[in-house]
Amino acid sequence: MNSIRYKLSGVTCSVLQAANFRPAYIQCRLYSGPTSFPDFFKNPIFRKEEQAKLIEINELSKLAISPVKPPGVSETSSVYYDPLVNKLINHVMKMGKKQLARELVEKAFENVKRIQIERYHLASSAEAKAKIILNPKDILHQAIENCRPLLQLLPIKRGGIVYQVPAPITEKRSLFLAIKWLLDATNDKERTIHFPQQFAWELLDAANNTGKVVKRKQDLHRQCEANRAYAHYRWQ
Amino acid sequence: MLSRNIRLLSRRYSQAVTFRTTESSPTQQNENQVGLFYTMNNDVCKQLFAHGGLPKSFMKQTKTFTETALMVRLPALDIIDCIKVTDLNKPVVRYVLYGEKGAGKSLTLAHLLHFAHEDGFLIVHIPWVSDWLRRLPRDKEMSNSQSREGFVDIPLDAAAWLLHFKMQNQVLLKTGDLKTSKEYVWSKRESTPAGAPLAELVEHGIARVKYACDVIDVLLKEIKLLSNAKKCKTFVAIDGFNSFFYPLTRLSTPTKKKVAPEEVSLTAPFMEITKNDWTNGAIVVTTDQLAVPEDRQENYLPKYLLYQKGFEHLDPFVPMEIGRYTEREFLSCASYYRDRLWLRGPPELESELKLASACNPYNFMELCAPL
Amino acid sequence: MSVFIRHYNPGSVYNAKIWRFASTTAETPKLTNGEDDEEFRVLDILKKRDKLQRRAPRKADVPPDRAEKMRTDQKWGDVWPGPKSFHPSSVPLPIRQGYVPKGQAPPGKKANAELMKIPNFLHLTPPVIKSQCEAIKKFCTEWPKLLNSEEAIEKHYPLEIITSDYCHASPVIRNPLSRIVILRIKLSDLKLDKHARDKFLRLVGDRYDGQTDLVTITADRCPVRRQNLDYVNYLLTACYHESWNYEDWEGDKTLQDMEYYDFDMNQSKRNLVNWHLLCLNEENNFSDEEIKLYDVASIPNATEYIESVSSLFNDGESDATLKKYDTSVRKLLGLPDKKIVT
Repeated sequence: MNSIRYKLSGVTCSVLQAANFRPAYIQCRLYSGPTSFPDFFKNPIFRKEEQAKLIEINELSKLAISPVKPPGVSETSSVYYDPLVNKLINHVMKMGKKQLARELVEKAFENVKRIQIERYHLASSAEAKAKIILNPKDILHQAIENCRPLLQLLPIKRGGIVYQVPAPITEKRSLFLAIKWLLDATNDKERTIHFPQQFAWELLDAANNTGKVVKRKQDLHRQCEANRAYAHYRWQ
Repeated sequence: MLSRNIRLLSRRYSQAVTFRTTESSPTQQNENQVGLFYTMNNDVCKQLFAHGGLPKSFMKQTKTFTETALMVRLPALDIIDCIKVTDLNKPVVRYVLYGEKGAGKSLTLAHLLHFAHEDGFLIVHIPWVSDWLRRLPRDKEMSNSQSREGFVDIPLDAAAWLLHFKMQNQVLLKTGDLKTSKEYVWSKRESTPAGAPLAELVEHGIARVKYACDVIDVLLKEIKLLSNAKKCKTFVAIDGFNSFFYPLTRLSTPTKKKVAPEEVSLTAPFMEITKNDWTNGAIVVTTDQLAVPEDRQENYLPKYLLYQKGFEHLDPFVPMEIGRYTEREFLSCASYYRDRLWLRGPPELESELKLASACNPYNFMELCAPL
Repeated sequence: MSVFIRHYNPGSVYNAKIWRFASTTAETPKLTNGEDDEEFRVLDILKKRDKLQRRAPRKADVPPDRAEKMRTDQKWGDVWPGPKSFHPSSVPLPIRQGYVPKGQAPPGKKANAELMKIPNFLHLTPPVIKSQCEAIKKFCTEWPKLLNSEEAIEKHYPLEIITSDYCHASPVIRNPLSRIVILRIKLSDLKLDKHARDKFLRLVGDRYDGQTDLVTITADRCPVRRQNLDYVNYLLTACYHESWNYEDWEGDKTLQDMEYYDFDMNQSKRNLVNWHLLCLNEENNFSDEEIKLYDVASIPNATEYIESVSSLFNDGESDATLKKYDTSVRKLLGLPDKKIVT
């Protein structure tokens, strides 16, 4: 895992992992967006915290002289920057319509917020009120965490038959599967219900460990458990 | 988790002083309360705005925040002061609210309606003119008017407006002695005698939708006469007035010919009542870019939106600009959103949001939505 | 032995070729490269290197450049008296011009086609021009002393004709762009009354610039400059005289055609008068004509109101004009002044 991250020259892995409010697997990009820049251009450091860290270890002045790629449009130093939300918007996007994707995701968050605020006002006791998460991004994180599979089934052909073999899964792949399953479940909606509304419901269900997506993950786990006899087929 | 609740409570307490005001009666509000939110009583809200009046996005917010709170802003206070000071024996003064999209014109109008209601005015309020002239659901009924040649009627909208009028003026219609001055004959069997209360006229219009537009015509003429005779003081509020002056509407006659607003029978009574040839009242009108199609939406200034005809009709009027939030108003709005759990996050956020929304109230609300 | 020569190659010595073919001992020392005779001798059919050696060019003895011997205080006008294509040895300047290949310097002046193609003005250096001017001076009259400032020139010569001459590289000496003639005149220099000014502006249209008060008429429809000049003069005279003519149909001008806003003729006056009469509870039976002639001075605060409405229409709508209108209407209707944020 660690070897993938060393493309960012001069910045060690430990510095990245110290940013503990968001997981390092998302920050680990080999390139920032489509590259019309040559390979020796470095990735941009656009978060204030990371710049501060570089200043502490005196690396920022070196980076300032070397050529750096410009950050993408959604890579801001805003307080509300969340790489998981950006990734989600990219997965929702079709035909390059980023603005539409972003509007849909933002409306979904708004719906989540409204539902949660309603529940908050309906809850009677202070403990119940305290349990309700009101921040839609926290709900999203919770939902993704609950939907991630721990193993995947790989089709492996032995002796003319294709077996579904349980195999380990990388973090990136599990994140991809979680987002994909969420979007699949959302797009399975009725014609009259709009995407943001359905997506909000799916997110809330997943955060609550109920609903279609979590069921799909649990089915996968059960299937893996059932097929554990074939696990040795990964090595021959 | 419990400590978070205590934090919320303490935050609410400390901020209750800075963005709320307990003065919920517009007649008593003054400049000390600029930028502060006051809560409207739910019953009053239902009475005044059941059939429209507050923008749809705001209605969603009231449901989420479980209360209707309006911000006290300078333009509204200005007009309230002017209305209090005017001599009611002189012809009516007209005020025109203008501003960019999302600056708060409709909500200022709502504030003024609340004030008018409290002060005992008889309210004539059109929530949004473009609903009649430019919104075309599949079941829109447009019939040829019977009392006027070549005019187009919109009976359902007229009946809905009569309901709205009845709801807003329940109290005055029941207690006041507002009576018609002459007899009106609708058909061979139906007629309203002279001296009948206005409530009866309104009921007739709601019951017999066919005559609703004519009823409105007659009703507004009567209101004018009554105001002149000092029986009641009238407050006319129209949102999206410039829609009456745009050359075309989306309506068409039953023979599929496009009509201009002058050929719709509902425009005439409201044109009459916005003239300044009567006394004992006040007229507040808004000009909105959203009331006209997109290719005429370049400018938000009133003379551009009203065209030559509208300007001449309303001249002389007092133009009132509804601007963006000032610093104080912005901070107060941000703390209100935090209190209502709509906005959360570190305080640095405020400067970011201020720049991103350019202090425009609607943009600020939209930006806070996913956060 | 004979070999049939199928391909005629001019300049080659065929007999030698045939001889070469036949003999087996004709090896030059270079080709063997110091090998022993016992080694197998490689048959060299093409023998290119030999031919190249023979064709070494004979260097001609070229005398040194004239430019090396020139004194720095010479009179250049004598060296280059008239227009002449560039001659590198006569020009003592280290000029480089042309396509710069990668990693090398631009090409020098010797045998530089680029420098020779373009026209040069080496015959028009400042001292030469000065002497030419001195020679012409006796044929010139003095610049008038009183035309010493821009204002004086504009006052006495208000009309400006602008033409352009071009120097270009082309088979033809004439440049089609040089036929364009521009005439510029200030509108205030023309004698026009109100009606004539309005008509002139409508005739001239876009060619008038409000901020600089200049009318600019451009003509390029004729092939010759003189014709365009005549045309431009004709246009100016025609517009001027036409604007003084009053046609019958000009009486049909409606309110909407008016180029400025006249308060008296418009609806706003009627509104004002009606409102005033209502305030006083008087009867209002005025007709249109009487309203136009109604004396507004009797209404308090009316002059300011009239001014602000006129400026709203004439100067366009903006925040400033709207503010002015606001204050004037409030004064007219007797309302308190607008609240400002404190």
